[in-house]
Amino acid sequence: MNKYYWLIPILPLLGSAFNGLLGKRAGKGAVTVVGLGVVLGSLLLAASAFFAMKGMPDHRLVLNYGEWMATGSLSVPFGLTIDPLSCTMMLVITGIGFLIHLYSVGYMHEDEGYYRFFCYLNLFVFFMLTLVLGSSLVLMFVGWEGVGLCSYLLIGYFYETDFAPDAGLKAFLTNRVGDLGVSIGMLVLFAAFGTLTVSDILTQAGHLAPEVGFGVLTFATLMLFFGATGKSAQLPLYLWLPDAMAGPTPVSALIHAATMVTSGIYMICRLAPVFTLAPITMDVVAWVGGATALFAATIGLVQRDIKKVLAYSTVSQLGYMFLGLGASGFAAGFFHVFTHAWFKALLFLGAGSVIHALHHEQDLFKMGGLKSKTKITFITMVAGTVAIMGFPGTSGFFSKDEILYLAFLKSPALWVIGVLGACCTSFYMWRLMALTFWGEPRDHHAHDHAHESPLTMTLPLIVLALGSLFWGFWGVPEAFGGHFAVGEWLKPALTYGQTHAAHGHHAGPAVLLAVISTGLGLGFGFLGWKTFKNGPAPELAFAAKFPFVHNLLLNKYYVDEGVELYLLRPTRWFGNLLWKLFDVILIDGVGVNLPGALTRVFGDFTALLQTGRVRNYALSMALGTAVLLYVFLK
Amino acid sequence: MTGMDAILQGGLQGYLVVALLLFAIGLAAVLLRRTLLMQFMGVELMLNAANVALLAFARFRGGDSQATVFYLFIIAVAACEAAVGLALVIGLYRHRDTTDSDRAASLKQ
Amino acid sequence: MFITFALITLLGALGMLLQKNVIVAGLFMVAAFFGVAGLFVLLANPVAAALQVIVYTGAIMVLVLFVIMMLNSHEEEKAQSSRPVQRWVSVALVTALAFGAVKLVLASPGLKALAQSGAALPEAMTLQKVGVTLFADHLLGFEVAGLLLLAAMIGAVALTKRNL
Repeated sequence: MNKYYWLIPILPLLGSAFNGLLGKRAGKGAVTVVGLGVVLGSLLLAASAFFAMKGMPDHRLVLNYGEWMATGSLSVPFGLTIDPLSCTMMLVITGIGFLIHLYSVGYMHEDEGYYRFFCYLNLFVFFMLTLVLGSSLVLMFVGWEGVGLCSYLLIGYFYETDFAPDAGLKAFLTNRVGDLGVSIGMLVLFAAFGTLTVSDILTQAGHLAPEVGFGVLTFATLMLFFGATGKSAQLPLYLWLPDAMAGPTPVSALIHAATMVTSGIYMICRLAPVFTLAPITMDVVAWVGGATALFAATIGLVQRDIKKVLAYSTVSQLGYMFLGLGASGFAAGFFHVFTHAWFKALLFLGAGSVIHALHHEQDLFKMGGLKSKTKITFITMVAGTVAIMGFPGTSGFFSKDEILYLAFLKSPALWVIGVLGACCTSFYMWRLMALTFWGEPRDHHAHDHAHESPLTMTLPLIVLALGSLFWGFWGVPEAFGGHFAVGEWLKPALTYGQTHAAHGHHAGPAVLLAVISTGLGLGFGFLGWKTFKNGPAPELAFAAKFPFVHNLLLNKYYVDEGVELYLLRPTRWFGNLLWKLFDVILIDGVGVNLPGALTRVFGDFTALLQTGRVRNYALSMALGTAVLLYVFLK
Repeated sequence: MTGMDAILQGGLQGYLVVALLLFAIGLAAVLLRRTLLMQFMGVELMLNAANVALLAFARFRGGDSQATVFYLFIIAVAACEAAVGLALVIGLYRHRDTTDSDRAASLKQ
Repeated sequence: MFITFALITLLGALGMLLQKNVIVAGLFMVAAFFGVAGLFVLLANPVAAALQVIVYTGAIMVLVLFVIMMLNSHEEEKAQSSRPVQRWVSVALVTALAFGAVKLVLASPGLKALAQSGAALPEAMTLQKVGVTLFADHLLGFEVAGLLLLAAMIGAVALTKRNL
């Protein structure tokens, strides 16, 4: 069976090829079958691989399918590494991915580019699987770049509008800046370890001489983290994610909630031993993550577009994941990736269902009173909201509180930041829910025509809701009587190659901290619901009384404008200068026109010889002959 | 024989000097006179200079008859060239009403 | 004898060069050709001398004089633009050529040797000898020359037709 696991990423690739090349002619039915079928096939194979891996002694299955690059000391095989970390991601990608594919059948039903959508979506699944399964950093990078490409393609899916392609371009370019960091990090790691295969790097990690290792590894990991901020939308490279909401909602759910944006966290978890050896980087990761978490949460408080609220929520939650990683809680951070995938995908798909019901209305201020009209959507979204705010017992509760606890152990200030962010999270989520589902509908026309979504859309919502509520029991921490099973599960992957696992039992006021943060979260959530259950009036009142604060938050702290003014405009000016100087003057003028002009001048000059007079020609001939004679008779 | 003696008494060098001087004069006629017919006569003079040199060498090599045959061919070619050349001069005169070679310069750039 | 004929030739040529009147120049040319014929006689080649007189002076120069008289261009026309540079360069070139060539000839040892070895006067060329060589060894050339003359004739006629 082992030798078929290469199909796990390849099946979606084939599906993408079919949909892209033949989809238009084959028709929507065929596209649906192929598009969903390949993901389902990958899912089944992934499940099989899961059991195969569990059967291995160290829970690690490495499969090589031939050599890709072999030059000098560099050897990059086409290899897959199936260990608990990559296996979990693989199942999330194919599993939640399949649910989202199913949802898309209903959501994208009327769209002309149906086949194109599934082509890109399948392609994305291929690249994402390559990213998580690749046995070397090179393959991971291929997947990394590839998902960036698919993100661009899918964000700009509605290519006829004017903002979608721009948003796609913004995403791609911002990611590109981050990719520079990843490339440099990879190169430094190669220089340090002589290999790019993850297993080998991890095995050698502890054996580097401390003085050398510290500086080199710190630099490499900082570069890698910079790349991660691009892909996972942290400060400073988060700007593309809110704009990415221009893409279809299933795209937002799959790529910008559950999978692609978690690549950064995945990469850091993959190289956990290396990052552990660079404590400065870990600090940077934790503080950037925490800052992003709070920063994005505050912006989400006043956004009017339902998808934008969720987008900033995603940025914020990703910040929590990095906070966990930086606090040496690799398992905790990854567990939050896992739970977040379930409830954020659910929230996005639910929002999509709302948008679909209200016929493409996305402004919260125009919604209202939907709870009686779209019952399934309503109930599932409540489940998602409850999970994200960390209601006791839900998955979000366990994952978020573990992170906050580890943050406290690292630095109480980080804990305070995290808790503040959590309060904002509860508030804005319940604001969203209240404005959407409660109160009097503010747009009666849309409300009257609202209807529940078809089964292809509601079934995934139900599955995701169940997962959001009950997956928490995989990660019940010791303080609450569990044994943090997910940590145990991930240990072989996170500590691969380490002879001594640096892990100690935490002793601290875990329960007390959890009670404080959960209590505050519940309180703010209730406050949010109560304020907005009758409509957006309180917000307008707030905007009138505190216009500066409100505008600051609404306009996202004017960061985009700042970037445009201080970064983009000078760059454009410089580019213009280079154009005028180098391209026009140097290359066109000196390089192209000058030889031409010189040739013409020279030609005009030598044309003077063509007098047309026989005597002149005779003279030239005689002169030439004389010279020849002289030379030969010398 | 020494140089000047050779020239003055009809040695090989003498004939060659005559030939070379004739050639130079013919070349001068081509370069310095503008009338096409004068230039033509210069060309004929140059041909004759070559003939003189040819037959001088022949005599000092034992009087080979092949040289004379060659000389005959040269004359034949000169005759052809004369015929065609003069026909061209007539043509130019009819067209341009001039025999000045400088005026026939429409191929100038 | 040699000097006489040499001087006739050279003076005739010079006269042709310096004469303004084209007809008179042509006559000087005829004189030069006669000088050349005399030189041929001194070179023990009466056949060549005869051919020279008959063909060159008798046919070619006569043709040239016909054409001169037909075109009625006795005088040299006024120059369009005086070009002193060309004139001086030409003069310089020609004199240099002349002097250089003469000096070369006089200084060459090979020529000296040749002159000495062939000093003895050979047998005079006879028409019979020429004819034998021509028709035995160079028959092809003879025929080709004939063709060439034919082509020249046709060409001359074609070029001077008024309406083709």
